[in-house]
Amino acid sequence: MKLLILALKNLTRNRLRSLLTILGVAAGMFLYSSVQTMQHSLTIATEGNAVDTTLIVYRENRFCPMTSRLPEHYMPTIKRIEGVREVIPIQIAVNNCGASLDVITFRGVPPERLRKYNPNIKVIEGSYEQFVKQTDAALVGQHFAERRGLSAGSKFEAVGVNVTVAGIISSDSPQDENVAYVHLPFLQQASKLGLGIVTQFNVKVESADLLDSIASKIDETFKSDQQPTNTRPEKAFFADTAKQMIELIGFTRWLGLGAVFAVLGLVANAVLLIVRGRVKETAILQTLGFSRLAIGLMVVFEGILLGLVGGLIGVIGAMAFFHYKSFTLGNEGLTLALAPSTSVTLTGLGVAVALGLLASLYPAWKATSRPLVQSLSS
Amino acid sequence: MSQNLISIKSVTKSFTKGKTTITPLENLSLEVPRTEFLSLMGPSGSGKTTLLNLIAGIDSPTSGQIIIDGTDISTLSRAQLTKWRASHVGYIFQLYHLVPILSAYENVELPLLLGNFSKSERKKKILAALDLVGLSDRADHRPSELSGGQEQRVAIARAIVHDPELLVADEPTGDLDRESADSILNLLNTLAKEHGKTIVMVTHDPKASAAAHRALQLEKGQFSSEGNLLNTH
Ligand SMILES: Nc1ncnc2c1ncn2[C@@H]1O[C@H](COP(=O)(O)OP(=O)(O)OP(=O)(O)O)[C@@H](O)[C@H]1O
Ligand SMILES: [Mg+2]
Repeated sequence: MKLLILALKNLTRNRLRSLLTILGVAAGMFLYSSVQTMQHSLTIATEGNAVDTTLIVYRENRFCPMTSRLPEHYMPTIKRIEGVREVIPIQIAVNNCGASLDVITFRGVPPERLRKYNPNIKVIEGSYEQFVKQTDAALVGQHFAERRGLSAGSKFEAVGVNVTVAGIISSDSPQDENVAYVHLPFLQQASKLGLGIVTQFNVKVESADLLDSIASKIDETFKSDQQPTNTRPEKAFFADTAKQMIELIGFTRWLGLGAVFAVLGLVANAVLLIVRGRVKETAILQTLGFSRLAIGLMVVFEGILLGLVGGLIGVIGAMAFFHYKSFTLGNEGLTLALAPSTSVTLTGLGVAVALGLLASLYPAWKATSRPLVQSLSS
Repeated sequence: MSQNLISIKSVTKSFTKGKTTITPLENLSLEVPRTEFLSLMGPSGSGKTTLLNLIAGIDSPTSGQIIIDGTDISTLSRAQLTKWRASHVGYIFQLYHLVPILSAYENVELPLLLGNFSKSERKKKILAALDLVGLSDRADHRPSELSGGQEQRVAIARAIVHDPELLVADEPTGDLDRESADSILNLLNTLAKEHGKTIVMVTHDPKASAAAHRALQLEKGQFSSEGNLLNTH
């Protein structure tokens, strides 16, 4: 305990050096946490889980919502396939088809079907009835609303579409949080595609093990049609369609790794300097009877403190950054909200502490391995 | 209980660096009775510090025995020696070597952190030690706010706070003016006479040596003269 206090006091000795080290660690951990936030958000979006029972029917060989065009009348045919619980046609309009940090996505759906298709949607402000009643109404995802500062009753325009917010929704599906649901016919007209054309169908099946068989059945049905389809589970669809984005985020992993090594080197260097400057003092403490373990622990404490304080600043900084900026990465009409998470934050702190520990092991050993007489006479 | 606190029997210490071996102490024997204030003099490089370090358990001899208060410390491992030092020796350095970021009080507290003392017990001991060296009013001062003589007093308080029988001092007055040096020597004398400490002090200063009960001259690893000094007490 007293050793910890001594370690803490020791760090205030060379304030500038400690401060610079902490800032460096904070910067590195900020980068690391940011990368982890992206990776984590992506994992949530792409990793299949057991309860996932959604299929996406898309135009074969198309990857952008602007080019995927399917006739709306496929719906009853799909609905009749055994094992299909619910189908909803969706027209998607986005402001930017490529990778972008601020995508706006409209999903045109038959208003009365939305709730039936997805009972998990909760209207937290405004009302669903209002949405059904008013042709230019929109139900806006919570995240989307926050980003644009929208509330029930406000009007907004994007991609040449003017809508009035009828309600704000929350849902357990991350995609719902980032879109504006509007009436299908309204969007079809507004985007000049014309009635009867949709981008995709979302299909809910009875159980997850039916996903593959139903997907092939759907594609089989429309194979010789003018508009053949390609049907995949939602997460696979995400993985295929948002390839650019996924590759980009995958690449950032290396940045995270680089940040980790930078922090490691920085702390190791700082602690080594500390130890070098205190050879004599360490020897005095040993002369007084402090064990090598105690001295080593004190050095390690200092490393951990540097890691922890820097880590706290960096990791919490990253959390606040992603919280207030609410970035939404978009690609091909799919959105990926880069949301901070407690698990990423805690892991970040853990990594910072571990790096502090790891970085100070060698200096700690160095500080205690020299023969005492030699250190005393240096 | 043997009458001699320190009993050194044919001790040899050599250092080997690469192919050269230096033997600053060769086949040296010495007895130091309890409560004696002994001074070691001798030219630079004669092995004074080396001998002192052996007595203080900071280093181990190449051969021979060093028995202190009945314990042969030449057989102890590095870790055992560390533990032994914590309760048996107080070391006083020429350059005081206080921890600069700690107050006088906290510096004196350091050796007590190694024992099982409650906070109030520690406080009592620290204040008593500071009182003994005459610095009760400087407990909260940092070393940088003290004079050299005062720093050395704090260092002496640190060396005696855990009540070891043995004090070793390597040129404790070497960096002080005459006046401060004299008061430090008086203090050491009091510690031996009134508090029953056995003190071994290395010094270059004949006046400092004269303050001790006995002075030994070390030359090339051997005692060349011995005398129950000119001592007037
Ligand atoms: N750790 C060591 N390694 C190698 N040689 C050493 C070591 N310590 C001391 N010596 C050598 O042993 C001899 C005695 O050194 P010591 O420090 O005991 O002398 P001293 O009498 O204290 O001298 P001074 O009065 O200058 O302090 C010297 O020749 C020194 O170079
Ligand atoms: Mg010396």
